[in-house]
Amino acid sequence: MARNIPIKVARARLDMTQKKLAEKVGISRQTMNAIEQGDYNPTIKLCRSICGVLGKSLDELFGEDEEHEEDEKNAVG
Amino acid sequence: MKKMKKTQLDEMQEQKLLKIEHNGCWFAFWGLLAIIFIQILLDHGNAGQNVAGEWIVFMCLCIYMLIASLKNGIWDRRFQPTLKTNTAFSAGGAAAIAIFNSVLSYVRYHKMAGSIAAGIFMFVMTFVICMIMFSITTMIYKKRKEKLEDMDDEA
Repeated sequence: MARNIPIKVARARLDMTQKKLAEKVGISRQTMNAIEQGDYNPTIKLCRSICGVLGKSLDELFGEDEEHEEDEKNAVG
Repeated sequence: MKKMKKTQLDEMQEQKLLKIEHNGCWFAFWGLLAIIFIQILLDHGNAGQNVAGEWIVFMCLCIYMLIASLKNGIWDRRFQPTLKTNTAFSAGGAAAIAIFNSVLSYVRYHKMAGSIAAGIFMFVMTFVICMIMFSITTMIYKKRKEKLEDMDDEA
């Protein structure tokens, strides 16, 4: 599964650490990290909570992400 | 009645815990089966008494998993309950029981012909019992699945 860059970007814009975001959403930092790394596929309920905290839509954070994959490739390259 | 304490885990940790419990369940299943066979093989005379506890726990585990799966209209992850798979699994189980009983008979009585005959007898018996059980459970599974799918349609 691809890494979730939009969450990382949205979090950085709000100057929020993974730990702080995890606390606000009500999950562990370990789970937040797994979501960002693409190691865990969250339920729609959790996706909505993350969107609520970051003030983004589901599509922006979890939508089809050809663009994000491109971003990731560029970041790695 | 007191409410159950709220879970301390988030959804990923819950899934991980379920996976750990799943592995533990299968470890207990195969461990108990191995212990039962080893005790029967090593004991002379009163094996029935010695494995009674393990046998009860093992049967409770099997019956629980069977009933819970059938109730939820689940058969298996990979296999469908067809005549071919039921026959193959019955033959596999019967072969394992036949080999075990042949070895047991030979260890106890040291008679090759007798142990082969015991093995063949156990193979046939186990195969027939497994096929009957598979047929009954397949029938129950199909009925239950049909009912659950109808319920989903109505909802």
